[in-house]
Amino acid sequence: MNILVILAVVVVMFGLRFLKPNALAWAAIWWIGVYLVFRYGVDPPMPTSILGMFMFIISLVLVAYVTAANDRIREVADTLIAFFVNPEYKVALGLTLVLLPLLVAFQVYSGMSGQPQAPLLARTIHPPPPGSISYQGKQIDLLTVHNPFRGLEQSDPTVFEAHVAGGRAVYYQNCVYCHGDNMEGDGFFAHGFNPIPANFQDPTTIAMLQESYLFWRIAKGAPGLPSESTPWLSAMPAWETFLSEEEIWEVILFIYDYTEQRPRVSEEVH
Amino acid sequence: MNTGVKIFLFVLAILAFYSYVGQMVPQKITYPPETAELAADMTTEELAVAGAEIVAGKGTCLGCHTIGSSDASLRFPDLGNIGAVAGSRIDGMSEIEYLAESLYDPDSYIVDRFLPGMPAIGKPPIGLTDDEILAVMAYLQSLGGTSTVTLATTHSFTGQGASGSDGAGATPSGGAAVALGAGLDGPGVFAAFLCGTCHTIDKPDRLVGPSLFDVGSRLSKAEIYEAVMDPDATLAEGYPGGVMPATLGASGFFQKVSPEEIRALVDYLASHTGE
Amino acid sequence: MKDLRLIKDYRQKPLPALLPVAIAILVTAFIAALVALPAAAIPQDAVANPEYRAFPVIGSRVAIWVVAQLHLMFAAFVLAVPMFAVIIEIIGMVTKDKRYDALAHEFTKLLSVSFSLTATLGALMVVMLVVLYPGVTQYMVSIFSWSFFPYILLFFLEAVFLYSYYYGWGKFSPKVHLSLGIALNIVGTAIMFIANAWLTFMNTPNGISETGALLSMADAMNNFIWMPINIHRMIANVAFGGSIAAAYGAYKYLGAKTQEEKAHYDWMGYVGNFISISALLPLPFAGYWLGKEIYAYSQSLGITLMGGTFSWLFIIQAVLIGNLFLAANYYLWVSMERIEGAERFRKFIKYLLASIAITYLVWATPHSLVATVEEARKMGGAHHPMLGVLGVMSAKNTAVNILILTTYISFLLYRRGNKEPTVSWVKAGNFAQLAIFIGAVAIVIFLGIFGYFVEAKVRIALSVPQVAVVLFTMISVTIIDIYLYRGARSRGKIKWGEMPARAQYVLFFIAVTFAWTMGLMGYVRAGMRQHWHVFGVMADTSPDAFTPTLGFASNVISVTVLIFFSFIAVVFWLTGLAGKKDWEPKEGALIPDGEHADEEVVR
Repeated sequence: MNILVILAVVVVMFGLRFLKPNALAWAAIWWIGVYLVFRYGVDPPMPTSILGMFMFIISLVLVAYVTAANDRIREVADTLIAFFVNPEYKVALGLTLVLLPLLVAFQVYSGMSGQPQAPLLARTIHPPPPGSISYQGKQIDLLTVHNPFRGLEQSDPTVFEAHVAGGRAVYYQNCVYCHGDNMEGDGFFAHGFNPIPANFQDPTTIAMLQESYLFWRIAKGAPGLPSESTPWLSAMPAWETFLSEEEIWEVILFIYDYTEQRPRVSEEVH
Repeated sequence: MNTGVKIFLFVLAILAFYSYVGQMVPQKITYPPETAELAADMTTEELAVAGAEIVAGKGTCLGCHTIGSSDASLRFPDLGNIGAVAGSRIDGMSEIEYLAESLYDPDSYIVDRFLPGMPAIGKPPIGLTDDEILAVMAYLQSLGGTSTVTLATTHSFTGQGASGSDGAGATPSGGAAVALGAGLDGPGVFAAFLCGTCHTIDKPDRLVGPSLFDVGSRLSKAEIYEAVMDPDATLAEGYPGGVMPATLGASGFFQKVSPEEIRALVDYLASHTGE
Repeated sequence: MKDLRLIKDYRQKPLPALLPVAIAILVTAFIAALVALPAAAIPQDAVANPEYRAFPVIGSRVAIWVVAQLHLMFAAFVLAVPMFAVIIEIIGMVTKDKRYDALAHEFTKLLSVSFSLTATLGALMVVMLVVLYPGVTQYMVSIFSWSFFPYILLFFLEAVFLYSYYYGWGKFSPKVHLSLGIALNIVGTAIMFIANAWLTFMNTPNGISETGALLSMADAMNNFIWMPINIHRMIANVAFGGSIAAAYGAYKYLGAKTQEEKAHYDWMGYVGNFISISALLPLPFAGYWLGKEIYAYSQSLGITLMGGTFSWLFIIQAVLIGNLFLAANYYLWVSMERIEGAERFRKFIKYLLASIAITYLVWATPHSLVATVEEARKMGGAHHPMLGVLGVMSAKNTAVNILILTTYISFLLYRRGNKEPTVSWVKAGNFAQLAIFIGAVAIVIFLGIFGYFVEAKVRIALSVPQVAVVLFTMISVTIIDIYLYRGARSRGKIKWGEMPARAQYVLFFIAVTFAWTMGLMGYVRAGMRQHWHVFGVMADTSPDAFTPTLGFASNVISVTVLIFFSFIAVVFWLTGLAGKKDWEPKEGALIPDGEHADEEVVR
């Protein structure tokens, strides 16, 4: 959030109430105001693809507003007609006719002259898991498998804590280099990767998934991703060759425990 | 303008708009998962494609053989022109029979200048099925020649392949087709990745690579570890670089072997002190 | 009413001879289907090795896709119109307002041609299934064997009731006629339920063994998403049918010559749109139920749908639904321009608009954003720290609930347009309504935010109280409003027929958007099976087994909708013919007496 930008826009919008511009100017000012808030008021900046979609919706809404009342349409039409035919606007009209194409030209120019960039990739972050996986030759049914230590949370908190501590050791020996001290996906190595490692503090990652899903992702890593989540450039190793089954379940416990998230519970099938 | 025409244009504009929105989201085609199975009705061309995959993968052929290399120091015959010469290698033996023999019973005929050393492909550890060998043959024919083999083709070795003709029937001890983390012991790893093709271990003879008969007395465990994981780091005198990394790399060794298995392999090798 | 004269003048033209032809084709097709498939075939063979034939140029998949979608659109229309025709007829009987009866009759006029088209397209689809996908058809027939016969039988009954309902207008006592209409609806709904069982089975197969052999047809029919699809389609049909009926009103309005005609068709468009939007309001809830059942059947299928390959499809859907709500509100606001006294409510429009804008934005915000590497680095991943929060279910549920409430408020303002309450408790009543609204919005938002702090199982369950609050608000506020405005003083009249043309185009926009949404949702319903004919049971091994890009699907949908509206244009035109004057030779033309006399005789 960039409070200053938002504040400035709000002040200008408030000022509009006293200026009473005509409908066309009103819509234009609103469009620009909203654009400024979206473009500069949000930190980190939103991707241009989203900004484009948002501004399109805002345009639609403003058109709806201007055309919803007969007198407002008239006002806009009158303004536009006056602008085109009244001699007093001759200079402004001329400027518009010159500047508008120039603006488009500039847009095209800046679009073409930028640094070459990797193409936009929309990856499927959470592809559907397979029904079962083979872990070191053992079949694990992902639909039914549960974290064997999760039950201890209620029944035997001390042992549960011990397993969480075990998970902590696993995490700091293996995961921390990429996923970071604070599990925000910003470890030492994170900056070398694209995509960057998953941010477990984000409430929309692990909290939305079942523990079996995490088990699958940890055990199989990037090589085990289904084709539909390609292009996938993930550097996540297949941990099944390095960690035991228990260690994976323990580190899952620790990740949830540390981030204070709860795993998604599988729904009762009825 | 006529109202009907206006409405039509309006509808057209809306549809164009929604089509445009459809183009704006990420575009991706999802293909059905590849099935490795060899279907009975596969054409020769399809069979050759499947064969190429087996040659590079399960068959581990490219660990030793090259395709289209004219290097004078080749250890095993280059296959770049096999389709053209297979029919004329042995007098009176057809192309198909020759290819089948060289896959099922490699030692019965050795090409000039080369040494015996190829395992029977139809038996473990590689253990290709009859159908898979037919696919390999179709591919080999296509190298410099024209494929004629289909899954209906028979030859004098038919039936001697590994059991299970559904194409998925890799034997459990299955050669370099080991699954990730199969948990093999030292001799198991040595056999699975066909180390013995190039190295002897129970006698001091040289094959393609140095004998490992006395490796335990020549090298420390750390050095053996390095020699396996990064073979070109220290080369034994008189052997060219690049051969072992390429061979092991082609067999998928570095992707498939687990740390425990490497440890087991190193221990196994270190125990060979030449006595 | 003055405009009665106009609509009383319908003449019963002989039905286009399409219907018997269509039914004949349909029956032949089914018989062909059953005969062509060898009865002795073992289903397992079909499962392992389905056979295909190719359709020229566009391929089998696109061909059957377009035909099935067209069939569904017409079927939806034919099922929906009797539903609201009967309801309007009942309103007419209760209020004794002849206008409603005439309107219901006019709606049913659209039916006869549409019904023939539905049957013809259905027959075409069956023939295409048999020819292009014999293996799949054979398997489906082996599962649903005799259920095809009651389907045909009900089709005959549908024809009987539909034509007796339409041609019997004013010929029977109202009660008999109404029962015909109700019977028509029951038969139509039964037809849809049977057909839904077949197609939902392909999504969530049930009642079969691991090799795909039938164990229980009852289980196969009553699979996981059968009932959710039934309900969802029933509501969506009404919304879609209403929008097409409104488009008919708009079409007639734009071509109307006299003020009376304009007034009548303005009203017709309004009623059609009212029906359509009323049905749209509960539709998202039915949709969530459907989604929940899909997840319950298979998490894999659910993630394919919502998080995997098709997640971007729902962003397109958000644009469509956002447009629908915006257009519906817009139509009401423009309508208020022609109500004397409604100008007092104009100042609220911008706030309603702001609410729509915000909820639209929230609903259209994707969870994982398309971003350049640069942008992703700044965001710290594919999830924007602020926007990512808007991309999840809690935010979207909240947004759609508020969007529904906003639309409801627009309706309320429209309703109040020219009325001035006279009851003594005006202030208390208004206050109570306002309190309910504020309370409802507060609860909806609170539950939405609360959803971020609880585990998923609870979060999913939270949508139920949210929906309950919204429904409670709409019902209770309506009840208060009815009593509040009982005996209200009029501030002026509603000037029917003085709608600007742009409002009529908005009705077209709504109809096209509805049709497109149907096409898109039909695509995802079928497409989420990906490379399966019957999910997890019978794999698609045809060259069309891949899932195409959304851009390709959008183009197919656009073409389908264009074909649909071309057919609809024919339906409108044929329906309009009935109201036209008989052809007569031009005045002053020289016609020999004898020939003229002959013509009279012929007539």
